[in-house]
Amino acid sequence: MTARPLPYGDPAHQAAHQFLVEEAALLDAADYSGWLDLLCEDIRYLMPVRVTTARGAGFDSLADMGHFDEDMYALRKRVQRLATDHAWTEDPPSRTRHFVTNVRTFRNEPGARAEFLVESAVLLFRSRGDTREADLVSAGRADLLRETGAGLRLARREITVDEAVLRTQNLAVFL
Amino acid sequence: MNFAGSQLEAVLADVRRGMIPAHVYGDPQIFALERDRLFARSWVFLAHESEIPDPGDYVVRRVLADSFIVARDESGAVRVMFNMCLHRGMQVCRAEMGNASHFRCPYHAWTYRNDGSLTGLPFHAEAYGGEDGFPREGQSLLPAPAMGIHNGLIFISLDPGAPPLPEYLGDFAFYLDFYTRQSPAGVELRGPQRWRVKANWKIGAENFAGDSYHTPHTHASVVDIGLFREPKASKRKEGALYVAGPGVGTTYKLPPGGDFASQLRYVGYPDAMIPAMAASWSAGQRALIADSGFMVSAATLFPNLSLVHNWPQIDERGTVAPFISLRQWQPVSERETEVLSWFAVDAAAPEAFKRDSYKAYLMCFGSSGMFEQDDVENWVSITEMAAGSMARRLRLNSRMGLTSAGQPIKPPLATFAGPGVAYQGFGEFNQRHWLRQWSDHLEDPR
Ligand code: FES
Ligand SMILES: [Fe+2]
Repeated sequence: MTARPLPYGDPAHQAAHQFLVEEAALLDAADYSGWLDLLCEDIRYLMPVRVTTARGAGFDSLADMGHFDEDMYALRKRVQRLATDHAWTEDPPSRTRHFVTNVRTFRNEPGARAEFLVESAVLLFRSRGDTREADLVSAGRADLLRETGAGLRLARREITVDEAVLRTQNLAVFL
Repeated sequence: MNFAGSQLEAVLADVRRGMIPAHVYGDPQIFALERDRLFARSWVFLAHESEIPDPGDYVVRRVLADSFIVARDESGAVRVMFNMCLHRGMQVCRAEMGNASHFRCPYHAWTYRNDGSLTGLPFHAEAYGGEDGFPREGQSLLPAPAMGIHNGLIFISLDPGAPPLPEYLGDFAFYLDFYTRQSPAGVELRGPQRWRVKANWKIGAENFAGDSYHTPHTHASVVDIGLFREPKASKRKEGALYVAGPGVGTTYKLPPGGDFASQLRYVGYPDAMIPAMAASWSAGQRALIADSGFMVSAATLFPNLSLVHNWPQIDERGTVAPFISLRQWQPVSERETEVLSWFAVDAAAPEAFKRDSYKAYLMCFGSSGMFEQDDVENWVSITEMAAGSMARRLRLNSRMGLTSAGQPIKPPLATFAGPGVAYQGFGEFNQRHWLRQWSDHLEDPR
């Protein structure tokens, strides 16, 4: 990214930051239908597989393989599933905390529709059961937030996870 | 090994009668035997040729603690080399994939061509007196003791005396073709997704081998949300289970009255792919679909490669798209497994199909898959329970499908077009077959 981020006092940055914090609160409350309401109908939700490559290789994630590569249909199905009485992996539910930080907001091409590129870091703490060791998932996120009549909505998210081998039993969680 | 012979004998005798001592799913002594007697001998999957299409391409994969470079050399041949430097033992290649003509050791810079041969040795003359002191000729990274390739699937064995791969695969090769040879172009693998679960590696292998019985309950949620066109979970009991050589698998019963093409269409294959499938598969393979009316689903090739084929609805319009996944249960310890899960698709398939199939895969299996999520929860729980003292007193009943006298509760299918023995309905024939192979390895002190 070549452009400078918006100053922290910029109302657009503050709105974007607040969006991410409120989104995290919904996820930690497992209010997934509330979370879906924050997404654009044309959402692309992507989490490429990271890999360990030599410094000169020119890539450190797989172009054609993700942990997630979701559209609205797929995300709705995931959320519907978690709402059934049979989603055993989250019953009892995980206790999660999404720590969102390092937020930088960029104006998307001046003159284009009212969209912002927002980069952030997320650290997910996930605890299951009473005695299991908790999991941590660290990732960077590059989001496209779109201004709509109803407020900001997420149009695209690319999650850059910081591990090649995930240390959590599944991704029955969102980042 | 301080695991007394008589103790082991008792464990294996119980396993062979389908009463499994629960501690085998969380026992470090059993794990040591698995390492020394099973993984040190068996054919183990490492990679697929499509992951290293061009000269110099490589991936690094493990068999338990042993790291191997799987590379395509400049002549186009596949090489599998132990990733440990001949000099002081440094891991030569520390990336997990890439393209390289040579691998240079980070420690003292001994350099190997991508066929493993030692080409570079700094200060060769000064340090070793040149070729006279250290002839480079014939020096190479240790090759895998045995290597074999089938349908592009690259296997190795740490036992140089292992039977040839085709002999090992035996009757299971018939079933492997449904997953890995849908056209002459063969399959291409993407991934793998890798993640670690606190579960014993055997549980996943056994589940994919034949546990159609878990589907109605464990996977009730994916049926609840209408991910499938029909209430598939209960359909599971109409499927056939087969045992064929070192492999075992499950199938779904197809709707009555279809022919080869209509059944493939039913599970979502586009017309453009069907002629190649017809040409690629034998009369017997076609008959399994057209006459017996079964479509392959989950399977396990002993010891730790599983395959899966399923066909969810991938959009609001109800488009049905089939997907294939290969997955490996890579043991880390008796209580931890690294899962490697690849998406696999016919290399000659239309791009639109590949896209749909990939979407179907991600929704169902892999690190985020909606089936896999609930599977792993179960397996982690079993592993936790197996680690204590009481698990040593519990024998898990794995005798489904047998009378108390040990006879099948119903006869094998007489009209099953595939090789091996097949039973329709629920049963633990496959898991017992898998466990028999496991027992044969563990009891052999060789
Ligand atoms: S250890 Fe590899 S060059 Fe010395
Ligand atoms: Fe399952």
